[in-house]
Amino acid sequence: MNFLERQLEDPTRFARIKRGFYVVLGVIALAEIVLPLIFHGEEHHFGFEGWPAFGSLYGLASCVAIIVLSKLIGKLWLMRREDYYDR
Amino acid sequence: MTVEWVHPGLLLILGAWVLPFLKGRFRRGAMLVLPAAALIDCVLMTPGTYGQATFLGQDLVFGRVDDLSLLFSYVFSIMALVGMVYSLHVDDVSQHVSALTYVGGALGVAFAGDFLSLYVFWELMAISSALLVWLRREPSAVAAGFRYLLVHVFGGLVLLAGIVIHWSQTGSLAFEDMGAFSGGLAWALILVAFLLNAAVPPLGAWLPDAYPEATVTGAVFMTAFTTKSAVYVLIRGFAGTNLLIWLGAAMAVYGVVYAVLENDARRLLAYHIISQVGYMVCGVGIGTELAINGASAHAFAHILYKGLLFMGAGAVMHMTGVRKLNEMGGLYKTIPVTLGLYMIGAFAISAVPLFSGFVSKSMVVSAAGEEHLATIFLMLTLASAGTFLHTGLKLPYYMFFGKDSGLRAKEPPRNMLVAMGLAAIACVLIGVFPGLLYDHLPYPADYVPYTLAHVTNTLGMLAFTAFGFFLLLKHLDPEPKISMDTDWFYRRASARLVTLSQGPLSRLEYRFIGEIYEFLIRLPVLGAANLFRKLDTVIVDAALVGVGRSTQNLSQVLKMAGSGHIQHYGLIMAIGILALLALLVVFAL
Repeated sequence: MNFLERQLEDPTRFARIKRGFYVVLGVIALAEIVLPLIFHGEEHHFGFEGWPAFGSLYGLASCVAIIVLSKLIGKLWLMRREDYYDR
Repeated sequence: MTVEWVHPGLLLILGAWVLPFLKGRFRRGAMLVLPAAALIDCVLMTPGTYGQATFLGQDLVFGRVDDLSLLFSYVFSIMALVGMVYSLHVDDVSQHVSALTYVGGALGVAFAGDFLSLYVFWELMAISSALLVWLRREPSAVAAGFRYLLVHVFGGLVLLAGIVIHWSQTGSLAFEDMGAFSGGLAWALILVAFLLNAAVPPLGAWLPDAYPEATVTGAVFMTAFTTKSAVYVLIRGFAGTNLLIWLGAAMAVYGVVYAVLENDARRLLAYHIISQVGYMVCGVGIGTELAINGASAHAFAHILYKGLLFMGAGAVMHMTGVRKLNEMGGLYKTIPVTLGLYMIGAFAISAVPLFSGFVSKSMVVSAAGEEHLATIFLMLTLASAGTFLHTGLKLPYYMFFGKDSGLRAKEPPRNMLVAMGLAAIACVLIGVFPGLLYDHLPYPADYVPYTLAHVTNTLGMLAFTAFGFFLLLKHLDPEPKISMDTDWFYRRASARLVTLSQGPLSRLEYRFIGEIYEFLIRLPVLGAANLFRKLDTVIVDAALVGVGRSTQNLSQVLKMAGSGHIQHYGLIMAIGILALLALLVVFAL
């Protein structure tokens, strides 16, 4: 049993990792909002870059959009059986 | 006489032929010495023009050495060395010869100062890389290799046509910036050929078709050289071509979309090559100093982390024999070292701070920002999230974690781990000390990647991409399906064309076109032929017979003269002499 296995197989430790992940998410989003208020002076190329937690929000939106739209295109159009080209 | 300049490409291409004559330890030694020698050769080079030759009255330049070609030659030879370490355990010498020839071709392209030598090395790359696909020796690989070669032969012909037209119009073969010929036929043909090798859609389907079919070690080489040498020639010839901005950004998103649908581990990574090359193509299109620096730096970083990712996926395939994600899972228990090295590559491609992708990709994105290209900026950032989603989360999740498939593997051979370790070290070094890379870029680089806003933005984007991934995890399970790409046109549409031509088209031909042919062509032609035949028997034959008859009669008469009596001959001779004398007299007067 290696280190990773001990962490992931034990439900209490795994729950702890999960909590840690949410805490990190919160800290990062908060840092993105708060830090620019403390340290000014970095210019943005676009207005939207200055929105609070733009990176986090755009990351989440991109991720969801990519998964949903790609699956949609795939199901409706692109995906075929594995032997499609062999028949 | 001192040798002023040794072509590192020729060194590899010719040196590769030593390998078949060596065995065991000596062969493995030579496999390392050759790329190491090429690397040292490149590092010792100073900018200038070398290896000039004249052919058919044209000046060929085999050694255009400047900052741009040097940067690409460094990474090409570093990757050759890493790839060779990764292939040390392979006993198939033809694979090594093909791989070294392929790298040599790429180095040849990097140093070519004229179109003719560029073309020769370009084609050499196509052929030697097709061998890397064929040498897996499975029916599917052989078929994919043929498709790969046909596409690249087509691209090569387009390039050749462009070169010939360019040559006839300008009288020069020099390979310089093509901006002055923008919009011309030669410009367009050469651009299309370059875009085909850069795997720009719709010309890029050959890449995810062929790379997953190559040998485990061959694929590691292929990821590095074809697309990146194409990026190099695009920088050389087409910097600042606006069309490329949009093509590149679209390409970055396109690769990500297909990666969602993909089930084959190496094909998923192949679609991410397309996505990453999109950033480079976009940078070439923007064309500012920052953008060109970004495209070059990203090509450099990309070769190393993408090699690492293919080495990781290849190692899993090598040890388990499984290539589909839905059949993998739970491997983290048995091969944690491979997992760790793979994850370094995954963090690098996802542009996590302190890894190489962060310091290179952000140059291109910032260049889009400086030019106020908002849509491009957003597309590239979205593709970044998609990259982390697949390479950093989906692929490792289903390969190493996820549902335990019951697969148990051993860690790959030591040489594979060493090669992955080398690439991983390079990824981290570049990420931590970006100056190492920035010092060698074609333009002076004063870019600062580690600003507070940039780091927090990136971390936020990556963390919430991960959040989105775990939210939607159950919708992401890989499915045993394949997705149609533009290779459909030559894999399926061509088959339909055959069916069509055998069925309806052949009936149409027989019933309709055949009848028309009969009526319009065959009857008149036969009639005319008949006429000529009659003409022939009546006139020509008769004439011939007449000539024959008269000759026969004449010879009968002459036969009478041959009586055998000496006095007759004497008489004839006397008549002849008299006749000659008479002629002489007539003409003398």
